[in-house]
Amino acid sequence: MTEGSAGAAAVRVRGLTKRFGEQVAVAGIDLELPAGRFIGLVGPNGAGKTTTLSMVTGLLRPDAGTVEVVGHDVWRDPVEVKARIGVLPEGLRLFERLSGHELLTYTGRLRGLPGAEVDKRATQLLDVLDLAGARHKLVVDYSTGMRKKIGLAAALLHNPGILFLDEPFEGVDPVSAQTIRGVLERYTASGATVVFSSHVMELVESLCDWVAVMAAGRIRAHGPLAEVRGDAPSLQRAFLELVGAGSRDAGTDLDWLGGGAG
Amino acid sequence: MSAAPPARGVPGRTPVTPVVVRLKLSLLRNGLRQSAGRRAAYAVSVAFALLFAALLLIGLIALRGTAHATSVTVLLVAVLALGWAVMPLFFPSGDETLDPTRLAMLPLHPRPLVRALLAASLVGAGPLFTLCVLTGSVTAVARGPAAYAVAVVAVPLGLLLCVTLARAVAAANIRLLTSRKGRDLAVLSGLVIAIGAQVVNFGAQQLGSAGLGRLDPAAEVLGWVPPASAVGAVDAVGEGAYGGGAARLALTALALAVLLALWSRSLTRLMTSPDGSTLPGAEQGARDRPRSAGLGRLLPGGRTGTIMERSLRYVWRDPKTKAAWVTSLAIGLIVPVFNALQGTGSVYFACFAAGMLGIQMYNQFGQDTSAFWMVALTISSSRDAYVELRGRALALLMITLPYATLVTVLTTAMLGDWPALPEALGLSFALLGAMLATGAWCSARFPYSIPQEGYKNAAPGQAGLAWISIFGGMVAAALLCLPVIALGIWLHVTPGGGDRTWLLLPLGTAYGAGIGVLGLRLAAPRTARRLPEILAAVSKG
Repeated sequence: MTEGSAGAAAVRVRGLTKRFGEQVAVAGIDLELPAGRFIGLVGPNGAGKTTTLSMVTGLLRPDAGTVEVVGHDVWRDPVEVKARIGVLPEGLRLFERLSGHELLTYTGRLRGLPGAEVDKRATQLLDVLDLAGARHKLVVDYSTGMRKKIGLAAALLHNPGILFLDEPFEGVDPVSAQTIRGVLERYTASGATVVFSSHVMELVESLCDWVAVMAAGRIRAHGPLAEVRGDAPSLQRAFLELVGAGSRDAGTDLDWLGGGAG
Repeated sequence: MSAAPPARGVPGRTPVTPVVVRLKLSLLRNGLRQSAGRRAAYAVSVAFALLFAALLLIGLIALRGTAHATSVTVLLVAVLALGWAVMPLFFPSGDETLDPTRLAMLPLHPRPLVRALLAASLVGAGPLFTLCVLTGSVTAVARGPAAYAVAVVAVPLGLLLCVTLARAVAAANIRLLTSRKGRDLAVLSGLVIAIGAQVVNFGAQQLGSAGLGRLDPAAEVLGWVPPASAVGAVDAVGEGAYGGGAARLALTALALAVLLALWSRSLTRLMTSPDGSTLPGAEQGARDRPRSAGLGRLLPGGRTGTIMERSLRYVWRDPKTKAAWVTSLAIGLIVPVFNALQGTGSVYFACFAAGMLGIQMYNQFGQDTSAFWMVALTISSSRDAYVELRGRALALLMITLPYATLVTVLTTAMLGDWPALPEALGLSFALLGAMLATGAWCSARFPYSIPQEGYKNAAPGQAGLAWISIFGGMVAAALLCLPVIALGIWLHVTPGGGDRTWLLLPLGTAYGAGIGVLGLRLAAPRTARRLPEILAAVSKG
């Protein structure tokens, strides 16, 4: 399903803008995400990551700007786009009164896959994601980690060329996180593109080969990981410099704190 | 907070009862301390309950000597006992001392614990209310000193039985009540009260028109069922039937003993086995249920069947959806059938069932909550949206068509107006089609969020939208049915047309089907165009 060679744009964003009342959530961003990469969209809370990903995946209508996924406009050509993308949004529910297996079957059939194929893929995904034991349990009774995993399974079921994940590791235990990581690494190794958002820099640094840094609704930097990191010892440092939080020093404040005085 | 004596003594020797009673009082006090509003609400509700109890007491004493005193009091006590039995299921969080697992860490023997918890249960407005009702009841039926002597035993026995009943039910179901399923059940509780109110209302109307004599056969039986048997005993002794009185009193005491034993057993089990929350997934293997095949096989394949299957599963599994459905099903049945029972009905009232069930088509996407994104991602054309809406409409029809038919046939049978059946059915189906059409359109045009917790059916700020959607839609549906209604009237007023009202069945059905499909066709492109707006509207819950 991968289209174009590495270096071609998987996602092309032009002048993307979204306002909620007075507040500008995304302030006209331009961005090209290369295909076949593991891409991290990083930024502090409230930077506009979720808003951006929602607009890119067609779940939120932008006030202005265009989004193209593998050359197709998200709003004018949804047939081409929706078949090629898998999405795991943050803060939206799943059909939680279905069991894990039923949820995957439902998603797969809505995606137009034949019944037997859905069944095969669902069983394999549940196995790989350590959910086989809970496949008949209702999703409403799942833990956070299990929800993220079943959401990931639903997003992968139709073998999309591009996967958009909003905070896939938020609130996930280390074991589930490792499982998710394994699946994503295998997926990108086959040439597919993953775009995921996070505010955990260590995670992004260890997983991604391409990053875009967002703050206050704007893209502050983007490019291959090494390029964005530059001379900084870690992505964390580089990021703090970029968003203007690097120089803040807690040394002089709170000087009364610690040491067991009194 | 209050000073319980340090429990250093041998377990079982320390008097537990005062400690537990004080615990209950502390919990009550602390609960009220949280906010002034809560305090006020509690004070008002207690005042009302006591006022009501006092009025009831006076009323019951005034009933003394009247012909139906026995029937009324026996039924009243039976209803009260029913209330005690279901109360813990619907308001599980009401009383923390109801949850014995909280006491599991303490070295307590079941017998003193049961005694202590029972004593604690007697503290509160509920038991006081019950005491008033029981006292009033026995006063109303007691005649002669022997009867009063029995009453002195019967009242405490009845009170203990009511309280024990609630405790036994709570202890037996505590696992359920503290789990997600228990919370689901609580969502349904408002519904049971609403439907119960309908039944009570109908019953009261019946009594008003037919006289209290109607109660006598039921009271005859209930007079032997504890705790109403306590009142029955007083009544029997007052009439000189000492044997019957003694038997009823013994039956009441026996019921109390059995309930105490059952309660004690569940308490012991609860306190000696691990807490449910510490046993994650212990039952998972047992709940491995490959049961989806049955439903799936009946449905068409492809996207349509998938959508229908999901919709039908949600009717059963999602408490909010289930509550809405049960309300519609119950009211759709109660209105025509009860009216028919009262002799004031008409076959045309049966259309109420179709109308009530048609409401379920409204706000389809709101019923999905924010999970609608999963649907939105698979709709990329008007065609997809059409199939989505059609699947949901078909799922709805799987329940509504047979149900509306059944209600219509039932109403017709009760009224004996068989010639009007085809006409009523035709009108019902036309209305159903019109409701589906307007419902689909409103789902796309006026979506709103349904909060998953509590009794509200629209998110704050969206209530207006919900009203516009449902009432506007219903008026529109009624208007859409006008051609069929007009045809019916025309047939009735035309000489000889009365014999041809059966025509309304095929014509109404065809009209309903046609308008339903048209509605879906009009709603589909709108849905496909407005996916992000719909998602935003249904994600506010």
